[in-house]
Amino acid sequence: MNVINFLENCVEKHPTKLFIIDNEWSITFQELYDKVQKFSSSIEFLNKKEVISLVSENTISFIIAYLGIINAGKIAHLIPQEISQKNLLNQLKSADSEAIICPQTTKENLRNYSSIKIPIVSFNEIQYKNEKLISSKINELAYLIYTSGTTSDPKGVAISHEMTEFTTKNIVNVLGYSNSDIDILPLPLHHSFGLGCFHTSLMVGSTLVLLKNANNLEHILESVKKYSATTLAAIPATLTKFLNFDRRILEETFSNIRLIITNSTSIPKDTVQNFKEILKNGNLATYYGLTEASRSTFMIFEKTIGKEESVGKPAPGIKINIFDQQKKNSEIDEIWIKGMNVIKKYWNNNEADENIVEGWLKTGDRGFIDKDNYLFLKGRIDDIINIGGEKVVPQEIEQVIKEIPGIDDVVAFGIKHEIFDQTIKVNVVKSKDSEIDKSKILSHCMKNLERFKIPSKIEFVKSLPKTEYGKVKRFILK
Amino acid sequence: MNNENELKKKIKEVFFEVFQNLSEGDFSWDKEQKDYENWDSFAQLNLITFTEAKFDITLSLDESIEIKSANDLFKCATSHLS
Repeated sequence: MNVINFLENCVEKHPTKLFIIDNEWSITFQELYDKVQKFSSSIEFLNKKEVISLVSENTISFIIAYLGIINAGKIAHLIPQEISQKNLLNQLKSADSEAIICPQTTKENLRNYSSIKIPIVSFNEIQYKNEKLISSKINELAYLIYTSGTTSDPKGVAISHEMTEFTTKNIVNVLGYSNSDIDILPLPLHHSFGLGCFHTSLMVGSTLVLLKNANNLEHILESVKKYSATTLAAIPATLTKFLNFDRRILEETFSNIRLIITNSTSIPKDTVQNFKEILKNGNLATYYGLTEASRSTFMIFEKTIGKEESVGKPAPGIKINIFDQQKKNSEIDEIWIKGMNVIKKYWNNNEADENIVEGWLKTGDRGFIDKDNYLFLKGRIDDIINIGGEKVVPQEIEQVIKEIPGIDDVVAFGIKHEIFDQTIKVNVVKSKDSEIDKSKILSHCMKNLERFKIPSKIEFVKSLPKTEYGKVKRFILK
Repeated sequence: MNNENELKKKIKEVFFEVFQNLSEGDFSWDKEQKDYENWDSFAQLNLITFTEAKFDITLSLDESIEIKSANDLFKCATSHLS
């Protein structure tokens, strides 16, 4: 079953049901289907290449274009609106895209990039034809996303319809989505997390409320209440920020919520504990996955005691092992994943393909599996700092330094050292008006860390380089 | 003189930070690395790091290797601050 079949099934079962609500309008399954068909027939002139790029924020127009590109037998290359010029040009070249489709305002911005040589077509310029598309052969691949690049330059990841169906079925079955759900989605659709949520709504035929800004917490809460939402998708940082709101407001707003789904960045234990209490009629759940191996584990916190720091058990049909570099079993080492959710190869990237061995994806993440088969994350393999043979996980240093009052953010990473091979450097963001100095940080570390884990360099910085999803780009710092 | 006393006080603080079990009676300016139970290569690195942070100076690798006593560290820091 391909993604267009998801839509066709919903049209058959409940054509007049409201499917998507965004800031400006709303659309039923039948209306969406008709618009998708017309969109596909209107881009028939783009018939030279396999890939069409799509740049847009979360709108119904994005969804029409996304499904329209797929329905026309193409692969939809999804690009964040806030992408840098350099990254955009790299992606367009790597994807070998035929054209860019985007809103008019984005088109005006992209015109400034003289290096873009392919057509840029705005949503408004696509003249909808009246006749419906007869039939296009759907491409084996549905969409192409470039990974956010926390560890290296972005890599193209093309996801097939088969993988999408497999993953979406797992989400639906494990988390219990149904057509009676009303889903609030403030996450970008060009990312695997947000797009997976959209596919889920499309598979079960629920109603999806699309929000543009995950940082507008008031608007998210208003939407949850206004639409009597039953599910919400949010990154852990958003959930932690919610805890600054009045507890009674949160409990009242989330009283109809049956599920809050978040993703694999580690969630503070406090946040988990608080949401267990706030959600009187629902559960907090998380998953672990990569764009290359979406939703590989699931964790429903309410049903599990004492595993708050785990990302859960492997999803149905997925194998997870902890292997060393020789693919031998190890207690705590790299996480390898195998299953129908794993890509067979990267997009035009032989070097990256070396991370896929006999169907196993080497994730670059480090972790262990406990006796009950729960997976725990322990940083990135590449981030391990080797100090004279002693291995240090940077997150441990960061956690200790974050305990000091007057520090907003910190990142630890390895720097070259002539004697020890590497030592630890930390970049620290002070709170406003903080009087913390380097000696105080070192004193705290001395009391709370082994001697080889004491940073050898401390630098105060204004901010840390992060991806749009809040993950620190350590590779830039090394 | 006051500066020298202040500097010595801070160097002593560095030693008490790095060697947390060190008592007043055990400390001596001339006591050498070999006489400390736990002055290993990591402790050496910690001494340098604390000194650099406290005085906002940077010691070279050659300077770092030469430090074998509190007195050596005091002299090294003094040379950077004079």
